[in-house]
Amino acid sequence: MSHPLSPPAEILRATGLHAGYGAGDIIKGVDAALGQGRIVTIIGPNGSGKSTLIKTLAGLLPARQGEIELEGQRLNELSAPKRVRAGIAYVPQEYNVFRNLTVLENLQIAREFMGAGRSHHRVLDDEVAGLFPELGTHHKTQAGNLSGGQRQMLAFACALTVRPKVLMLDEPSAGLSPKYMSDVFDKVKRVNAMGVSILMVEQNAREALRISHTCIVLAGGRVRAVAPASEVLGMKDLNSLYLGDAQATLH
Amino acid sequence: MTSYLVLLGIVVCFSAILALALNFQWGLGGMVNFGLTGFYALGAYASALLMLRAGANSFFAVLGAMAVVAAVCGLVAFITLRVTEEDYFAIVTLGVGEMLRLVALNEDWLTKGALGLTGIPRPFGDVIAPENYQYFLLALAVVLLLATLWFLNAVARSPFGRLVRAVREDDVVAATLGKNVLWVRVRIFAIGGGIIGLAGSMHGFYYQYIDPTQFSNIVLAYGFMAVIAGGRGAHRGAIFGAAAVMVLLEGSRFLKDLIPALDSDQLAAIRIIIIGVGLILLLIYRPQGFMREYRLQTELK
Amino acid sequence: MLQTTFNGIITGVIMTLPALAVTLLFGVLKFPNFAVGAMMTVAAYMAFALNAQLGWPLLPATAAAALAMGTLCIGIDHVTFKPLRERGGITLMVASLGLGFILENIARFAYGNSARSFAIELARPFRIADVRMNQEQMITLGVSTAAMILMYLLLTRSPMGRAMRAVADNPSLALVRGIESPRVIRWTWFIAGMLLAVGGVLIGMDRALEPPMGSNYLISVFAAAILGGLGSPLGAFVGALVIGVVSELSTLVVPPNYRIGVPLCAIAVILIFRPQGLFGHPYIRK
Repeated sequence: MSHPLSPPAEILRATGLHAGYGAGDIIKGVDAALGQGRIVTIIGPNGSGKSTLIKTLAGLLPARQGEIELEGQRLNELSAPKRVRAGIAYVPQEYNVFRNLTVLENLQIAREFMGAGRSHHRVLDDEVAGLFPELGTHHKTQAGNLSGGQRQMLAFACALTVRPKVLMLDEPSAGLSPKYMSDVFDKVKRVNAMGVSILMVEQNAREALRISHTCIVLAGGRVRAVAPASEVLGMKDLNSLYLGDAQATLH
Repeated sequence: MTSYLVLLGIVVCFSAILALALNFQWGLGGMVNFGLTGFYALGAYASALLMLRAGANSFFAVLGAMAVVAAVCGLVAFITLRVTEEDYFAIVTLGVGEMLRLVALNEDWLTKGALGLTGIPRPFGDVIAPENYQYFLLALAVVLLLATLWFLNAVARSPFGRLVRAVREDDVVAATLGKNVLWVRVRIFAIGGGIIGLAGSMHGFYYQYIDPTQFSNIVLAYGFMAVIAGGRGAHRGAIFGAAAVMVLLEGSRFLKDLIPALDSDQLAAIRIIIIGVGLILLLIYRPQGFMREYRLQTELK
Repeated sequence: MLQTTFNGIITGVIMTLPALAVTLLFGVLKFPNFAVGAMMTVAAYMAFALNAQLGWPLLPATAAAALAMGTLCIGIDHVTFKPLRERGGITLMVASLGLGFILENIARFAYGNSARSFAIELARPFRIADVRMNQEQMITLGVSTAAMILMYLLLTRSPMGRAMRAVADNPSLALVRGIESPRVIRWTWFIAGMLLAVGGVLIGMDRALEPPMGSNYLISVFAAAILGGLGSPLGAFVGALVIGVVSELSTLVVPPNYRIGVPLCAIAVILIFRPQGLFGHPYIRK
């Protein structure tokens, strides 16, 4: 990707982030930034802390050290629901829909609780509805009865219902058939085109990098490299990146 | 006054044994026994009935009671341990405890129902002079408490104890190692049950009269309070806790003298309110109290 | 037989509201709350105070007691369960046990052990098709049905109802969908408190008011909620009716004193063999 004339402002930034579940930290001093309107993908081997990082940004895990900022506003003290209302939407990897509620109810909840004081006239914004036509026919189905791919779409749609500033996706293509997988990345691109900045964690690195602007490499709880996605795509062996120490230049 | 302290000491001893049993099943075995009260009653009634109906002497009555409660606990564990959720196990044991209490209340032909059983003989009751008996009973109670302590420690330190801890940490791993997980748990619950039976028998010796009203869920509360108040550090904790709880509760009997305006129903109500408040306060302010880890005592007095 | 079945239906209907309270509390708070029996008792006595002592008609007395109980429950949660929220099921269960002792004995302290009754006009029982019924039972049927319909609407049509079901389904997902858990918890206690209050008054009308009145129903109410599936409101309704009818019918074969044995066995059997009950769904604990 060629250099833009002026780099975009950072909409989401993490500085020196430490977090973990038990005694030790899983992420140790992570610096990461998401440019406005960009798609950034985080790759790394299993156990590198990718999910932990996203959960910490979402507010499900407290940041033990470090700062999280959304458009310059410090998020550390905000609870997860408040961060949602500030404009960060998060789609977990698994259990990302309310299985005992219907598709319609899932969307209603998103509409009712994710936006602060926005109008609630339509359950699904027309643009978003256009993105997920298949949901229209399944309004009354219990989310637990949908197929894996349909659930993923529903989770995605819920996160978009109140047009977030930032959308964070944890392995959106996990467990999906190839058809759904390319569908997911296609939708991610289109959502980005609507103005939503996207931060993704992905195992299917190549597919994700194809639509991304920037790639962050995370291994062992630390950032090993940050580079334009196209550069990383060009590399034959991603493993060397995982062992790296240096931080490449941004964008 | 000495007499009062001696009697209090006896009560502390068998309450501590009961707390140790709860601690053993819960702390080591990871199985919380909400039916403690019912099993305690079972032990008391079994021991009393063996002496009164079957003419057994106190020694065999105690053994018999321990065996009965151990067997019932083992059976309950065997059937119930299909349930994996801790909470559900607790509810089922609560139900079993209630059922045992119901049987005690209703099977008049066996237990004399609400009237209860009177005239329970005491160990060596006819041999020792009445005025000295309480000291003997205290000594016996202390010996039994120490014996229980020693025994439970020995079990915890034994290979079996290590196995139990391994099973509790990760029963999938233990199962793949070929250990029969269910059987291990059943045994722990049964051993704890035997100890409960011992405590129940001692209850009978002390009061010489048992009826269903003595076995309300307050007993369960006492047990938890003792285990929680004791804090970390397996056994000494449970004993200390039992002592503290008993002192608190016996002390509250003196309320009657302080507030003459209240009638006995109201005083009884206040005592139970104090128990409830005490239990909740202990839970809130003694965070390390609810032992998840069964610590080994390396020295034994 | 028909009479027994009818009595069973009434008992079941009385239990529907408390069973629903139990299941809502379990769904949102993730532990079985053993204080619900005593909560019913306290609320019933509150209504008694207004009704028999201050002369209010029973309906406004019940409404006031319901609002009071709902508010009281929020306070109780704040003081007792909130500090223990992170500690896990057993701690919370033990705390609820202690709370039950406290509440029941507050009632005992205030009103003693003798049985009391509400001040309602006596009406003659009547017969329909060989089954004897009385006015209290008709009121019970009416009130419970109305309450269940209201609850159904609340849970399916209102945002807070949906939020409660969402939290019961998956608490951490609820957080990232913008649902603030303290608010949902407060509303759940308020609603549960009101349901328990109405249930308590119905028990007081059916039997009498005495300190153990609520606790006597604790096991049956839990059996109903567990049979229906903890966390499923529909299950609470169905479970209550089934337990009610089966318990009453069992008196035809089992000695009356062992009536409580039926729900007890039901609990054990269900939890061992089918813990999710009839309508329960698997749910996420955290």
